[in-house]
Amino acid sequence: MAFKQEVNMTNKFRCPQQEHQISRRRWLGTTVGTTVASWGLGGLIQPSVAESLRRDHKQVLFIWIDGGMSQLESWDPKPNTEFGGPFRSIPTSLPGVYISELLPQTAQIMHKLAVVRSLCTQDNSHSAGVGRIQRGDPKDRGVTYPYFGSAVANLLGPGESALPAYVWVKPGSGGFKHQDAGFLGPQYGALAFGDGQAPSNLSRPEAFDALDDQARNRLREAANRRYAQNRRRKVTDANTYVFDTAQTLMERSDLFDQSTFTRQELQRYGEHDLGRHMLVGRRMLEAGVRFVKVNSYGWDTHGDNFNGHASLMPRFDQAFSAIVRDLSERGMLENVLVIAMSEFGRTPRINGHIGRDHWPEAWSLAMAGCGLQSGVVAGATNPLGTWVKSEEYDIGHMFHTWFHALGIDARHREYVINGQPLPIAHEDCHAIKELLI
Amino acid sequence: MKCLLVFVLRDKCRYLLAWFFLSLALSSAQLLLPAAFSQGPIAVRIDELIHQRADGTLSPLASDEAFLRRIYLDLVGRIPTLAETREFLTRRSPQRRAQVVDALLASDEYPLRMAQLFDVMLNERRGEHVEWRGFLRQAFKENRPWDRITREILNPDVTQNISRGAAFFYTGRLKRYGQVPADVPGLVRDIGRMFLGVDVQCAQCHDHLFIDDYAQVDYQGLLAFVGNTYIRTDHPFPAVAEKQLTEKVQFASVFDGEQKKTGPRLPGGVEFDVPKFEPGEEFLVPPDKKKKTLGVRKFSTLRILAAELPRSDNRGFARNIVNRLWWVMMGRGLVDPLDLHHPDNPPSHPELLETLTDAMIAHQFDIKWFLRELALSGTYQRSSQLPGGFSDGQILLPQSYRVALERPLSAEQLLQSTLTATGVEQSWSIDPTGAKAGQDQSTIAAKEEQQQEWIKLFQAAFANPPKEPEIEIAPSVRAALFLMNDTTFLGWFESRPGNLVHRLAALDGDRLVAEELYLTVLTRRPSTDEILEVHTYLAADPAERTKRLGYLAWALVTSTEFCVNH
Repeated sequence: MAFKQEVNMTNKFRCPQQEHQISRRRWLGTTVGTTVASWGLGGLIQPSVAESLRRDHKQVLFIWIDGGMSQLESWDPKPNTEFGGPFRSIPTSLPGVYISELLPQTAQIMHKLAVVRSLCTQDNSHSAGVGRIQRGDPKDRGVTYPYFGSAVANLLGPGESALPAYVWVKPGSGGFKHQDAGFLGPQYGALAFGDGQAPSNLSRPEAFDALDDQARNRLREAANRRYAQNRRRKVTDANTYVFDTAQTLMERSDLFDQSTFTRQELQRYGEHDLGRHMLVGRRMLEAGVRFVKVNSYGWDTHGDNFNGHASLMPRFDQAFSAIVRDLSERGMLENVLVIAMSEFGRTPRINGHIGRDHWPEAWSLAMAGCGLQSGVVAGATNPLGTWVKSEEYDIGHMFHTWFHALGIDARHREYVINGQPLPIAHEDCHAIKELLI
Repeated sequence: MKCLLVFVLRDKCRYLLAWFFLSLALSSAQLLLPAAFSQGPIAVRIDELIHQRADGTLSPLASDEAFLRRIYLDLVGRIPTLAETREFLTRRSPQRRAQVVDALLASDEYPLRMAQLFDVMLNERRGEHVEWRGFLRQAFKENRPWDRITREILNPDVTQNISRGAAFFYTGRLKRYGQVPADVPGLVRDIGRMFLGVDVQCAQCHDHLFIDDYAQVDYQGLLAFVGNTYIRTDHPFPAVAEKQLTEKVQFASVFDGEQKKTGPRLPGGVEFDVPKFEPGEEFLVPPDKKKKTLGVRKFSTLRILAAELPRSDNRGFARNIVNRLWWVMMGRGLVDPLDLHHPDNPPSHPELLETLTDAMIAHQFDIKWFLRELALSGTYQRSSQLPGGFSDGQILLPQSYRVALERPLSAEQLLQSTLTATGVEQSWSIDPTGAKAGQDQSTIAAKEEQQQEWIKLFQAAFANPPKEPEIEIAPSVRAALFLMNDTTFLGWFESRPGNLVHRLAALDGDRLVAEELYLTVLTRRPSTDEILEVHTYLAADPAERTKRLGYLAWALVTSTEFCVNH
């Protein structure tokens, strides 16, 4: 009996019965020529691959609201209903569209946004949800899919900035977050800037001035050139690439200097973590980083949801509306895809602690920019906000939509890992047409 | 014979002629060998079979200097010291390469290097445990045969002090982290990968889609061996036990849903029955709660696994270790990737793999003997510089072994080599079992502690994350930032009594400086250009001579030439 349990336990790892049926046919008919993912050095030494994939420098700003923003206190308010809570809704710059009064500044730029109110996803726990949502909830094939940031880093490459392709501005500690990359391999992980600060070993020790640094690196490069003579290029090229990227990052230490934000900028974005981190994120985008994730924590309002959102939402409202405005004014919004979302929404039902719990069944997210319609709201929930009444969109639909917006054909592009072709987005889902240009 | 090699090396015009002579010599491979080393019969056969399929020029043998650096890195995990290099270069004996191979295999550092190598290979940075490290060190110190080591890992025995740490292979994978469950699929997968060279991960839910040879029953049969293993918490050291397997494992393909069953079964092997016992009848030795023993079961799947997998008539088991050790020394498995042995992925040199496998079995899985044979082959000792006639190495297939392949250095190899080069520490060779003459216990403890700190520093900068195999050279931005800016590392290039920069500063004349520098760091003499570069750079600012010596040393230690095994 004991082992029976073990067997049952392993069933959890299995893919559901009906899976693969369609895709298998497709896999078998697919040539390996579509190889995108690469192991080991591939991604480092073949900028030419990235070259051929490059669009006109599309970028992503991914705002991750960790813990679960309440859709009822943000994008999909239901005032004066059973579960509506105490906040009113307010009109927006988009006629007929109302959002929570906690988003007054965002309401003024609603005509620039694309909002989805009909998300219906699978996981209602943080531990599973954070990963599943950011990996696009792929089918379980016994491999670990990359987070969206790693996927974009792999599919579009770093671009011309010579900066790392995927950076993550977050409260707390920083470092190299290889876990995000899944099967793509550690080099597609996130370079995380804890509290927006520089990664470890970024700054040159004071004993070295710029001339010293240049001198020692010239000697190193000369040694590498001599070594490369009469040898395969592969190793030296890869080594050169990482040193060049590291040096570019060192030269751009200004990206991390928060003392140079102007008084006015800080006031507009907000003098709190999210405001400052969003400003750092804007700098990264301006510097050409392909994918910037900005993180806000502390949204898991199981208790005292309304005071919680009353204090959290204004910070989001301020920072989010400021960056969308700035990107728009600088003409960057055309090429930057902005996404603001959590791992799930919050229950319409208000619990005994005046809180809202986890609710993946019917929730919302907001987007703007690159490849998307502006001033559009897709999907709707029922009058109580408990269920989706239009077509339900899973995170797979969003991945298809985002890839499409970035000019990547998710129906045909595949990763090839150890000879196995793997779809880049869930093959049972599709892009949401009404959101796309 | 040296003349022939000189032709190949220096005279492209005569290269065809040289190849003609070399081809003639193939019939008697001994003729091919330069006087500098002697070979065993397997080493000779390796070269014959590699030559047969080379399909073009081979690079000549590496220089004595290049050979010395390579063999030190492979067998003791560091570059040679300046004194060791100088001494070796004075030797004139035709046996000198064999002599150094034998000396290194017999040294105290060999088991330490092997313990690190196998720790990284088998556990893929899943953490460290002093008992596991102790198990590996002792095993390689005694040169335990690979089949015995495998048995000790697959069925660890809590009563055996010298091998109980082997259980860390299981416990490292079965440990739960927060809400993350025990990695049973990972354990099943790794038993296949590490000991049989087959990765059955993608045959978990259905027969493998692209590898006809990997069936779902292969995964499920392995699961039946280890699926009921759990971590024992009543010991301070890693330990596992198993629940009684009472039924076959049930499984169904996600494609057709047909219910199937299997008992314990090795991939492609026979299925073992799952016997039924009356309650209370399942023990040979019943458990004893007072003595806290779990008893001995009549039917133990771990015992069967340990008895049946590492057998000399299990070809897959023998092939796997041969292929992995070949990869260790040559940089690419005869079967590549290492864990995808199957008929549609044949070895680059089928006859060679079979010959080596036969020999390994005949030598009772003697790892030290096998490494020695590989090290004495011309294939191992070939230069990593392209053979004549190639301007771009990319068109040279790596599986031809026509040129020695560049290999990554582990974080540990890089640390020990850096310490050796910069003179911070002669080597890590602290006898783990006791005091060396002249070293008291507290000094040894302090040194070990210091080493551990540095190892953590280097692992953070250079090692792959857990579960990522370290197979290929993979430079990273993280490592580059470390090499450019880490203050501990940079401190090793400041002049301090006894270290490299201090020694260089005391030398009279830039030629001497260049020679000492290159021989110490890169285990070779500098070229004329390199001597000139050193001189020009130092002469440009005599006031900053010491600082500049530090930069010269830093540039060589951070160069590709230092950071790979070539």
